[in-house]
Amino acid sequence: MTRFVLHRLLLTIPALVGLLVLTFIMLRVLPNDPSAALAGENATPDQIAAVRKAYGFDEPLWKQFVIYVRQVGTGDLGNSIISNRPVIRDIAERLPATIELTFISLLFAACVGIPLGTLAAVWYQSFFDHAMRVVTVAGLAIASFWFAIILQMIFAMELDWLPLRGRFPVGLAAPWHITGFYLVDSLLTLRFDLFGKAFAHILMPAFTLSLAGLASIARFTRAGALETMQKEFVHYAEAAGYARRRIVWVYVLRNSVVGATTQIGLLFGGLISSAVAVEAIFDWPGVGSYAVNAILTSDYKAVLAVTLVVGLIYSIVNILVDVVHAWLDPRVAEKL
Amino acid sequence: MKRRTFLMGSGAAVTVAAMGNRVALAQPMPDELVWADDLPGNLDPYSVSDVPMQGYMINVYDTLYVNKENPPKLVPWLATGHTISDDGLTVTVKLREGVKFHDGSSLTSDDVVWSFHRLLNVKKGPAAAFLPVLDTNGITAPDPTTAVFKLKQPYAPFVAAFPLVAILNRRQIEPNIKDNDWGQAWLASNSAGSGCYIPDISTYQPVQQLDMKRNHDHFMGWTHNTSPIEIVRRRSIMETTTRVNALIKGDVDCTDSYLPPDQVDRVLASKTATVSKNQTMRVMVLRMNNKKPPFDNRNFRLAMSHAFNYKGFIDGVLKGYAVRNAGPIPVNLWGSPTDLAPYDFNLDTAKDYLAKAKAEGAPVEREIEIQIQQHLAQTTQAAQILQQSLRKIGVNLKIVANLWPQLVSSTAKADTTPDMWAHWVSAYFIDPENWIGQMYDSRFHGTWKASCWYKNDKVDALLREARHLDDQGKRQPLYEEASRIIVADAADIWIYNAIELRGISNRLHGFEFTPIGSGADFRTMSLTS
Repeated sequence: MTRFVLHRLLLTIPALVGLLVLTFIMLRVLPNDPSAALAGENATPDQIAAVRKAYGFDEPLWKQFVIYVRQVGTGDLGNSIISNRPVIRDIAERLPATIELTFISLLFAACVGIPLGTLAAVWYQSFFDHAMRVVTVAGLAIASFWFAIILQMIFAMELDWLPLRGRFPVGLAAPWHITGFYLVDSLLTLRFDLFGKAFAHILMPAFTLSLAGLASIARFTRAGALETMQKEFVHYAEAAGYARRRIVWVYVLRNSVVGATTQIGLLFGGLISSAVAVEAIFDWPGVGSYAVNAILTSDYKAVLAVTLVVGLIYSIVNILVDVVHAWLDPRVAEKL
Repeated sequence: MKRRTFLMGSGAAVTVAAMGNRVALAQPMPDELVWADDLPGNLDPYSVSDVPMQGYMINVYDTLYVNKENPPKLVPWLATGHTISDDGLTVTVKLREGVKFHDGSSLTSDDVVWSFHRLLNVKKGPAAAFLPVLDTNGITAPDPTTAVFKLKQPYAPFVAAFPLVAILNRRQIEPNIKDNDWGQAWLASNSAGSGCYIPDISTYQPVQQLDMKRNHDHFMGWTHNTSPIEIVRRRSIMETTTRVNALIKGDVDCTDSYLPPDQVDRVLASKTATVSKNQTMRVMVLRMNNKKPPFDNRNFRLAMSHAFNYKGFIDGVLKGYAVRNAGPIPVNLWGSPTDLAPYDFNLDTAKDYLAKAKAEGAPVEREIEIQIQQHLAQTTQAAQILQQSLRKIGVNLKIVANLWPQLVSSTAKADTTPDMWAHWVSAYFIDPENWIGQMYDSRFHGTWKASCWYKNDKVDALLREARHLDDQGKRQPLYEEASRIIVADAADIWIYNAIELRGISNRLHGFEFTPIGSGADFRTMSLTS
């Protein structure tokens, strides 16, 4: 297993370098010189030229890239040209919010999607199965920003059950910083009142974000369960008189969630990118809204850093998924 | 306790805790203002000069002069007054005594000189208004309450541009200078001002949030306001719908000042908020690159000017919340000729001019391109309205989405400047120079404001003369004449002067609009329950 994890980790390095090269090229090959915007609305050509020189935008692209890669190699992702702070600091302040949102979404998608998919397989071709398929197609098709607004209108504006926006009430001190995840920090400090507030704030954005993932997981689980239920060991278990509940929720489920587990890993990356829209609508202070601002202002170092960090997280999550995959199905680890 | 019981109990506790927040979440604190307008990119007032920065600066910093009311009047603030020498080259400013920075140290002319030195060395944002006429050797402080500016040439808008320059506390910044950066890295996330509100830097998240508390010792005192706001919580909400919903729900006390017209009725229909409508000085303009064929042909530009459905755009898209602006200077500012007739929407006239342009050899058949700002819907709507009309007279207009930084950098050269693009010219300092001077004097070619690449020797002469005269009475006819020539030449398509629409909560009082900073002066505001 150790060799397996090391192998996966080593593969991550070229993937990240490739990601860096591609993102840099896409950002800098475009006629994209932020100097004029940086110099200000009334800047003279001399001012713009001075800014271009100060930020190194007058250097050849290859040189800018070499300088940037050298910086990244030393762990320095550079300064944001807008906030004039290290981008890693900006991202570090916002990343926990995005990870927390993504994780809760994924948790919700998995906790609801896997049982739904399993039940649909158990009740194959029943009304439940058909209804589940309709709902999952809708879940995949509905635009998250539209769904988010509908949720806001119902649960925040009409019913006043949930907060409209943000991660925490304005003016209330956030839980004492331990992990940066408000739900975790409030529990660790035994502040259940703050946990309730953080939980209320995350409900709508997490549900919105989970919708597509939930649908996808349910469909994968259903397909996996249907396939597993045709296997001989299931028939043997039935013939041996095992309880139906035990066969479905232990033997079938364990063998059918392998595909869904792989899907969860892929979904994590998708959820982080989908979080851009959800964060904007729910005013969630994560890296998604930071990335949008960075793109609009051509803050290319911030865009590169966000891409790199998200890529890194995506790689790590996929390694973890592979480990879980190997745990669920030991044949995977044995092949390596 | 069984595992299932424990889980059910935990779930119920969480649900109760979450639901229990419901009432508290919807209730704003009685003495805390939640200001949901954009924050600047960083906190250094010399890094950028835009509307969010103005809104920040007027509260945290003080300037020699400020703009008050609408139309704006230049009012002495840190200054008690100023004199200008007969040759227009020396401006002497007298300062108030007893002004304190937030750290308790005194603000003197030494700080004024250091601040202007920093401005001219940093060379960003507001420096543009001063760099052509001022260098560091020209700023002196003969005594603690006098600052003297010796200009390289007479420059009438010099004093009008003072509100752009925050006076900084050098004692706070100097220890934080690194690599000769004039403290830029430090000030980007800190403050060194004397203004009526003090930022709580521990709450700062760039472009996201910042809290401020009232400066009880501000030199202007608080006698004008019996119940000033103690805490201001600035929160930037990216999405318009969320911003409006938050206002209606009572989560925040304002929206930004670009409330979409289709949201006005919704806010007005609520019981919690209203809409402040104020004519500002922000002119929407469709630029035409006068150096690129067929835009180098005056008849073609006239055809374009008659092909835009001004009324349809103002009444339809903007629901009437705009004032038709015939030329480059806002209609509510001196220098804009009162008798200047705007171009009308008339496709027959447009066709006639198009035929003339064609007869003169202009390549009117070529596809022309207009670049819009992707995240500003109005620029798309304006382009679509023009596209629809042009199709009827046989001109093919292609709409291309772009972003502000790219558009600005493309205007550095005539051949990279788009055929057309859409933007606004906002009020940075209240003088016609901010609009017509910087948009149509050919010395500004290469900047985004002069991106139509208009060149007319007569206009250059008029604008330069106006810039050098100190007497508004003498400057006004020069700007009026220049306006008439530029409009007759159809250098650009001027559409409207904006009416700013800002949603504000019913509990907020004392909102006083000024085009600079869009009325974000918390000093005059108060809250009622």
